[in-house]
Amino acid sequence: MTNLATGVWYAIAADHDLVDGHVYRTVLGGHELAVWRAQSGTVQVWDDRCPHRGVRFSLGEVVGDDLRCQYHAWRFGPTGACTFIPAQPQMKVPGTIRARTWPVAQSGGLVWTGIDPAGPVPDLPPGTVARAIPIARPAAEVAAALVALEGLAPVVQPLDAGTTMVRAIATDGDVPRADRVLVALRRRLESAV
Amino acid sequence: MARFARTIAHTPGCPKKRNRAAAKTRWTLRRGGLATAAMTAIDPIVWNDWHPVAARCTLDPARAHTTVLLNQPLTIAIDGAGTITARRDDGGALHQDERYGLVWVCLGTPDRPVLVIAEADEPDRPAVVVGAVAVRAAGPRVIENFLDLGHLGYVHAGYLGDDPHTRVLPYSVAALPQGGIIATGCRMYQPQASPAATEGFDVEYVYKVERALITCLYKSNPLHRDRFDVIYLFVQPVTETTSVAHPLLLCLPDGTTPQGLRAFQQTIFLQDKPILENQRPARLPLADGADTPIAADKSSVAYRRWLSAIGLTWGVIPAPAKAARAA
Amino acid sequence: MILYDAHHLPECYAVRLFAALVGAPLTLVPVDVYPGHEHRSDDFLARNPLGTLPVLVDGDTVWTDWQEMLAALALRHDAAWFPAHDPALIGWLGMARDLAASLGLARLIDTFGAPGDAAAARAHADVLLDEIERRRWFGERAGKVWVMPQAHPTIADVAVFVFIALCEDAGLSLRDRPALRRWIDRVRFAPGFIAMSGVFPPMANVTR
Repeated sequence: MTNLATGVWYAIAADHDLVDGHVYRTVLGGHELAVWRAQSGTVQVWDDRCPHRGVRFSLGEVVGDDLRCQYHAWRFGPTGACTFIPAQPQMKVPGTIRARTWPVAQSGGLVWTGIDPAGPVPDLPPGTVARAIPIARPAAEVAAALVALEGLAPVVQPLDAGTTMVRAIATDGDVPRADRVLVALRRRLESAV
Repeated sequence: MARFARTIAHTPGCPKKRNRAAAKTRWTLRRGGLATAAMTAIDPIVWNDWHPVAARCTLDPARAHTTVLLNQPLTIAIDGAGTITARRDDGGALHQDERYGLVWVCLGTPDRPVLVIAEADEPDRPAVVVGAVAVRAAGPRVIENFLDLGHLGYVHAGYLGDDPHTRVLPYSVAALPQGGIIATGCRMYQPQASPAATEGFDVEYVYKVERALITCLYKSNPLHRDRFDVIYLFVQPVTETTSVAHPLLLCLPDGTTPQGLRAFQQTIFLQDKPILENQRPARLPLADGADTPIAADKSSVAYRRWLSAIGLTWGVIPAPAKAARAA
Repeated sequence: MILYDAHHLPECYAVRLFAALVGAPLTLVPVDVYPGHEHRSDDFLARNPLGTLPVLVDGDTVWTDWQEMLAALALRHDAAWFPAHDPALIGWLGMARDLAASLGLARLIDTFGAPGDAAAARAHADVLLDEIERRRWFGERAGKVWVMPQAHPTIADVAVFVFIALCEDAGLSLRDRPALRRWIDRVRFAPGFIAMSGVFPPMANVTR
């Protein structure tokens, strides 16, 4: 299912992707993820799946420090533990009802996660985070094509076996140029199939 | 008596008899080794059952209706005289029937007729076909959602429930003698239970699942509090993870026009659609522990266990063998 | 004003939503387009020979173009929504019509069994969504909250929203279009917002 290496940090969002009340949605190596910022400021990376009935959390909403599922409005706090079940409001929620949480790091304007990531998050050169561009080609092929791009420090997020998200730091701060370069790369790689 | 007469009236004539004979022959041939991989893989429970594929009222003589049933492309045509013909695009045989304003097809060997609905014979309940809606979700997921009480106050807020009236009171679930499940004693405060409701009231529900992909509910009518409106949901299995929902209303007269009933029911179903299309995994997992049911989810648990017990494989992730036996 | 309305059509939703946003009272007359085909009836065609929904009626005035209805309602209730001096408005309303002909068409084919080529319609919509995502992302960087440069939302937001918010019905996804998802939420949380089936109303205003 996954082409994800263990022990590695992957960039899955930019800081600017996380706005108040909003649940950002992405996928990493076939694992669908919901990413959100609690009112207290902590960033959460969770399986994008409510453990109750499997509905994507990214349909839901952030309410204070809780994420609320759109289907039955179950609420889950920042540790992933379910805090409230409206269908049975008197019930003390069993501690076993939890969203699956992922490790989180924030660095270089990006949000990072992975499977048992070890060591520090990769160090990126200073610059501005450009727009992430999805490319319908496998990660290895996209990574190989990125080597030659000047003025860009790219990081690659494998979405699934055949699709890759490219995030880049525009080291010269020229984000529109970075965007044109990455979109052209996307066109080139996707049309070469 | 009325029910019996209706059954006879709906018995199709010669064309169907020919079809049935042809189907048996073809089926035998396919079992003998000519079957394609796709066909042999299909769950006999759904392959040998009847499924709705179109509503008569939406068929147009000027344009054949195309659809897919159990991965098989079909074309359904109506001629100027109102005769409907369903055909498999690959030329294979099928069985065809018409009930409740819907065209029904069985691709395999039917071992029972199209579901008989007693309420359809009550003279003051016109059958209203709501209009098919395609949904990118497995059939069993569509059925399970129909049985669900806890979502009414959220997904259907302002209609079938409302925050903070979201508590699901205890209800009972039992097995039906002919197979399937029944949930009784379900109660829910509803601000707009039906188009005719002028105020919120506590609505009483009974839910039944009579076949793997057919479910219905009985709910209090705002004007006839001693009788029930009946709503059926027939799910046409298109692929394992896509379906077409065919709701059918058998409601008591309360001044609502068929147009009003349709609009209301479509509104409700289209509210469920984005939920259904965002459930993962796409196929309904049957293993205990795949999800986290609570007491309010009793009917969901019973439905999943019943599907395990009958051995359904279409549109589900079967439970490990031991769990299935325990059910 | 009377709105002849089909609950499932984005064009009708645009008028209902906008009327709610500017506080214009509407009397809805449901027309059973699907499956009833009432828009092809003699009665309806007498009202609108184009046979399209919605139709807005105010006394002797009849509007049959949904975008014109948005403009008319804005001029009557709150002209800030209708920046007629800005040529970009023409572009965005045209974009909304292109979305109707691509995303909207794919949705009718996929969900309601309408005739047509869903794959081709979807491919066109994909190109449009990519471009709107690009504009929205750079708009956000420039501090622009809505699709037009104005600080106030415009009828362009409404016109584009009603299609994009329903894109899953057309087999399209916003997963890799994060700026569009954020903008969708911004519209949903606007004061006066109302939903239609397929669009979730905001929940977060309810607290316990």
